[in-house]
Amino acid sequence: MLKTLIDAFALITTWEVIIAMFAASVYGLVIGSLPGLSATMATALLVPVTFYLSPIAAIATIVAASTMAIFSGDIPGALLRIPGTPASAAYADEAYAMTRKGEAELALGAGVWFSAVGGIAGTLSLMVLAPPLAEIALSFSTFEYFWLALLGLMCATLVARSSPVKAIAGMFLGLLVSCVGIENPGGVPRFTFGMTDLFGGIEPIPALVGVFAVAQVMRAMLTPEPPPIPKRKFGSIMAGQWLLTKKYHWQMTRGNIIGIIIGVLPGAGADMAAWVSYAMSKRFSKEPEKFGTGHVEGLVEAGASNNASIASGWVPSLLFGIPGDTIAAIAIGVLYMKGLNPGPTLFTEKASSMYAIYLMFIIANILMIPLGIIMIRLASYVLRAPRSSIMPIIMLCCAVGSFAIGNNMFGVVTVATFGIIGYVMEENGYPVAAMVLGIVMGTMIEQSFVTSLIKSDGSILPFVERPIAAILAAMAIGALAWPLLVWVWRKIRGVAPAAASAR
Amino acid sequence: MRLPDRVTGLFLVGLGAAAAYGGWQLPPVPGQPVGPNVFPLVIGTGLALCGLAIAFGIGHSFEEEEELIPVEGGQPKPAPPGRLYGLRALLPPALLLFYVAVADRLGFIITAGLIVFVTSTALGARWKLSLPLAVLAPIGVHLIFSKLLRVPLPAGLLPMPW
Repeated sequence: MLKTLIDAFALITTWEVIIAMFAASVYGLVIGSLPGLSATMATALLVPVTFYLSPIAAIATIVAASTMAIFSGDIPGALLRIPGTPASAAYADEAYAMTRKGEAELALGAGVWFSAVGGIAGTLSLMVLAPPLAEIALSFSTFEYFWLALLGLMCATLVARSSPVKAIAGMFLGLLVSCVGIENPGGVPRFTFGMTDLFGGIEPIPALVGVFAVAQVMRAMLTPEPPPIPKRKFGSIMAGQWLLTKKYHWQMTRGNIIGIIIGVLPGAGADMAAWVSYAMSKRFSKEPEKFGTGHVEGLVEAGASNNASIASGWVPSLLFGIPGDTIAAIAIGVLYMKGLNPGPTLFTEKASSMYAIYLMFIIANILMIPLGIIMIRLASYVLRAPRSSIMPIIMLCCAVGSFAIGNNMFGVVTVATFGIIGYVMEENGYPVAAMVLGIVMGTMIEQSFVTSLIKSDGSILPFVERPIAAILAAMAIGALAWPLLVWVWRKIRGVAPAAASAR
Repeated sequence: MRLPDRVTGLFLVGLGAAAAYGGWQLPPVPGQPVGPNVFPLVIGTGLALCGLAIAFGIGHSFEEEEELIPVEGGQPKPAPPGRLYGLRALLPPALLLFYVAVADRLGFIITAGLIVFVTSTALGARWKLSLPLAVLAPIGVHLIFSKLLRVPLPAGLLPMPW
């Protein structure tokens, strides 16, 4: 244990890792603070760069950039009422109301401080949850993996804030994308239409870059430029945060826990965590009437929540290769490329690398406090950069980055195609995160199902015979039946009063 | 580009049916009780069912009409001037396809410069900003990706000295 920790320290105290982490932090802060550029997009555009780094440095950039970007989205939210990332959208109104009351420092300070606390809480959950789960998961066979993947896919309905049917449709679309190519258990070319480029299947990373980056540039083409930020002098940013921590410690803890749970659930990430926590905070507040008028309570809870979800999103990703959120979906791609294939054995064979990930998360969250304060003070300059100078550079990064992933032009075509798909889906209320879940997990669910059937000689009995598989199966079937039961229950209850009133 | 649910739903029905048909056509693999044809069949059927549900508004009752908080732009959008305005959104993917088509011939620097210039102008930049950007951004990106990260970018007509 101690030796592993020392090894982990040795892994992250190389110049490469330190520089990569610092640069990625600054990059994440800038991208996150620019309205319309999300944390997922920041991570997706980093992938081609990670190719050329050592595994630990590659993970360091993702950890640092995503952590910073989620906090940084609070800055324009508070100053302009425009969330920098979707994860800050839940409380942008509240934070802006505080700025108008002259409490910008308190709002932004709460953003930095409770983000850092949330991030560290999320990391602790990763450290506490992952190793024992890995212990259990070591005995998992393809049967258990099939049920796990199925449960993960069902979480697609969670990412929908509007229509669950559209979320499921999005998930099926993603699964369909994962069918393309000859990478199936039978080795039969599927949906390749004779194009050799499609034989290898559609790479998840260019698809993600298209969905999150190109679609965003497309959206920018039709939306007006956000107004420039008014210049202002900030007082002390951290003043009063300790008082808030003491006053709202229960809200903070609840935010952390909600964030961790939502992070662990496949597909749902920081934005969902912020929405749920903000609503929760309002629901259980002693003074709910103050919400919306510039009350810091919701900010504390939601800010603690969205950053907590980032680290805990890595739990299913590292253990099973099931993405905890869209950022983790990209991280999984990078882990595979770097030979750190997700699975429970990572925690025994590459234990020092895992400790290095924990350490990097903690360092990133501590580093966030000073860097975040600098960023807040510089925000009026950074946010002055016109969109017309940033979007073209993002276009170039999309083109070059997607080419670099496989050194072929087909990657660029994939990026362009998925840009259109992502744009049309978002515009029409189909959650893109559900499709991402389908793309990443399609191969896994098919592989585990088919290999299981081959092992069991076509019998489906082992799917429910093995004890853990049986538990997972019960959970999956329960999750499937639950909304139906609720629906039937509502129908009966809904009909009864109607009939009564008719009488 | 907001389409009625009926349109997107029926499109999904078509896509799902096509996928299911395509899967059904695939040959089974001997020794595999569930061959490569089964998953497309299941997925296609599921997709088509979802499409039907969306097109006919089944499960719509689950939907809480939420206030869509715009990710960017706090103000309500001004009315789009004309029908062709919406097509501007297709510019980024079109430019990427343009890159695929000509990058090998023209080389990275020239193609990238054109892409930067067009994108920047479309977003409302004056030539005073977009022209220098079109010169400097490709060189900067080339420096990072080609020199530092060794991505083999096409040299074309204007090879860089490094």
